[in-house]
Amino acid sequence: MRVVHYINQFFAGIGGEDSASAPPERRDGAIGPGRRLDALLGDEHTVVATVFCGDDRAASDPASLDEIMQLIRSADAEMVLAGPAFSSGRYGVACARVAGAAQAAGLIALASMAADNPGVAEAGAAPIVESGETARQMGPSLERFAAAARRVAAGEALAGIEGVIASTRRLNRLDARSAAERAVDLALARFDGDKTATEIPQPDFGHVHPAPPIDNPREALIALVSEGAVVPMGNPDRLESARAHKWLRYSLEGLDRLAPGEYQSVHGGFSTVAANADPNRILPLDAAREMERDGRIGSLYQEYLVTAGNGTSVADAQRFGVEWASELRRAGVRAAILTST
Amino acid sequence: MPDQAPRRRLVHIVSGVRSGAATTLDRGEVVVGDEDVRRAFTDPALASVSLSVLHPGDSARIVKVLDAAEPRTKGAGGGGVFPGFVGAANATLGVGDTHVLRGVAVVTAGYLPRAQEALVDMSGPAAPLSFLASTHNVVVEFEPAPGADWGEVAAAMRAGALRLAAALAEGALDHQPDVIEELPEPRIVLGDVDGDRSLPRIGVITNLQTQGAFKDVYVRGSSFGGSQPTAVNPAELDDGIVVSGQYGHPALKNPTYLHQNHPIVAALRARHGVDLTFAGLVLSPEPVEQHAKETVARQAAALCGELGWDAAILTKEGGGNADSDVSLKMDALEEVGVSAVGLFAEMAGADGTAPPVVAPPERSPAMVSTGNYDERLQLPAVERALGGARFDLLDTAATDAMDVPTAVVYASLSPLGWGRLTAAAATMASSE
Amino acid sequence: MLCNLLPIATRVGAPRMVPTRGIPYPAGDPSLSQEDERAWRRTLLETALVAVSTHVTQPTVFTPGPAAAKSG
Repeated sequence: MRVVHYINQFFAGIGGEDSASAPPERRDGAIGPGRRLDALLGDEHTVVATVFCGDDRAASDPASLDEIMQLIRSADAEMVLAGPAFSSGRYGVACARVAGAAQAAGLIALASMAADNPGVAEAGAAPIVESGETARQMGPSLERFAAAARRVAAGEALAGIEGVIASTRRLNRLDARSAAERAVDLALARFDGDKTATEIPQPDFGHVHPAPPIDNPREALIALVSEGAVVPMGNPDRLESARAHKWLRYSLEGLDRLAPGEYQSVHGGFSTVAANADPNRILPLDAAREMERDGRIGSLYQEYLVTAGNGTSVADAQRFGVEWASELRRAGVRAAILTST
Repeated sequence: MPDQAPRRRLVHIVSGVRSGAATTLDRGEVVVGDEDVRRAFTDPALASVSLSVLHPGDSARIVKVLDAAEPRTKGAGGGGVFPGFVGAANATLGVGDTHVLRGVAVVTAGYLPRAQEALVDMSGPAAPLSFLASTHNVVVEFEPAPGADWGEVAAAMRAGALRLAAALAEGALDHQPDVIEELPEPRIVLGDVDGDRSLPRIGVITNLQTQGAFKDVYVRGSSFGGSQPTAVNPAELDDGIVVSGQYGHPALKNPTYLHQNHPIVAALRARHGVDLTFAGLVLSPEPVEQHAKETVARQAAALCGELGWDAAILTKEGGGNADSDVSLKMDALEEVGVSAVGLFAEMAGADGTAPPVVAPPERSPAMVSTGNYDERLQLPAVERALGGARFDLLDTAATDAMDVPTAVVYASLSPLGWGRLTAAAATMASSE
Repeated sequence: MLCNLLPIATRVGAPRMVPTRGIPYPAGDPSLSQEDERAWRRTLLETALVAVSTHVTQPTVFTPGPAAAKSG
């Protein structure tokens, strides 16, 4: 099959974080890790082209995915392989979206990343093959990725393929008995000594890798972000008060504080009386401006990013986080202060 | 607790509802009298109210559902039910007979600015998820008076619905009940840790979402916010001491009707003396601050310890932060030697692949799942809608076919354990 | 991150946390006078700056210093 390999700017060799805003590009043949991948795919499959894009651009600019798909189509791809992205969140999300879009377009598509990469939730119907945590595990990760791709291309069922991350789905159903009756059974079981009985497994949130510290806040561009649903009065862009599927940006230019009556919180998870009396209780603009004037911080980013964190699924919250990180990095922001309700 | 006459429910099975001139019970059919409707809703915050009835199986939807109550009375004038709203706040309750109209609910529906859009379908795929799809519903819609304060509008509807519910039940006072239910009550008092231990003593702790305007719950007419965990005679729930004023998180809401018919109290009563001793009910607030949540958790655990409970079942109201109230109490209970089980709704994402809960307990894994909040439902178009012409969440006509998360179906993930909905793992592809 | 429910934030791995005084007002405290509340907000942000300037490897709570003590 004709294979197109998707990678990021770093593995394409055009640069690191300084090039994370690079737009999508296509090169003929395999480059970087694609050479080894091409060899591992054997004679039946050939990497005919490599498409790459800067991680921030891919994760934060909605047009990127369309551009990437056009480049993939222009190479007459039959199969798309994206990654391995290891634990990199922005790269993982990009790989997952590319594989998901390619699968939806009728191509065979797989992505590769660590099991706790936020991209795992973003691949739609495309399978994800587990990689190592870091590029130090490039060799074994590529071997597993190529082996899985050959078996998927041969039409094997995903269930038998090594390394394909099991997407364990929690599905609703009606039980024969009410939750109240089951709770009484569970209480009796626990009292009788069954210390492991439960209907919900302990959740796994993966790992967050803390960003390195900033050197000097007095020189840094700093952003205010919030899940407290502070929006202009009247909520012109209709931010959802619960289960938000989107986030919004609003300009702070020329503003010294968020005036009551001009901004409001539409958060549905708490009483907003205090927030609406003084919206700076949610987004601390007045104090941040004061610190900007005092020289405690270099400057404040000209926009704030906001969503409503209320009944939001972890998958959506991770996506918002990746998009915010990409957005702010592209703008040169060095630190973000997130207010959480 | 002194000995008393057996506590009884005199149950009248309702087979239909219609409106008419005077309230009465006519061979199982409730007639809702115009005069009682008028008298129930005289508050100047309301310009007008209108009444409609819906029946199980109707091609009908109620949107903007606010609360529901079951008609009950203990005598003329309500006899003290819904204290603080209908009866006196200090009425002696939890004793004697209560008339119950089973199979009917008084439902309030309409726009309130801070309410989250909630719906009930009387038929179709969402019907098995909500208790209101199996009751005959007296739906009260309203127009606020011009310039009225929204808090006063909400209060007027809350009190009015309870007055109407009591008035409807009074129509049954001179009728023979269809069923008489005798209710076992806990006989455990503080310090009675050495009493009969032949069966495990299991009680229930119910957290009330007391988080300010439009997110508040009332006990005997007053907000329970700022209160300490309190042991309450469960029979007082039957007489309506807990009333909901909480309009967030539709699926995770505990309407007044379900406090009156507390499912875990019912499940514990059903097995009292069989394989457990029903040890009682503790009500607790859900504060909005971490230290207060921790303090309340320790207080609740200490109280259950003093009552000699062997195990406790924990219930919540609301979303993620309410989970931590359950988890903190479970951990505190386990620390004092009381086995703890909690009811949780899952937030596992639309496809069910995300972590199901964000604030699980650490000392007891024992969680009951009331279903995944995010899974989507495809609802068919319906012939008739009450509560509003539009479904604001999707900006569609309220009668349209719609694709919604389970989270908008009223009380569908009932934290009090009413429902049969649950979520379970289905593996789509095996790992290595 | 300025937040009140630290156990949840810790559990999901938030790297740098500053504790606040209530869910509905992560950058305020309505029990204070306007002037004192503004000072408290500044203290929260100063603490946040310390947090983002500090190397961490796991979820870490940065508590506002004594100067930030609640003055009523």
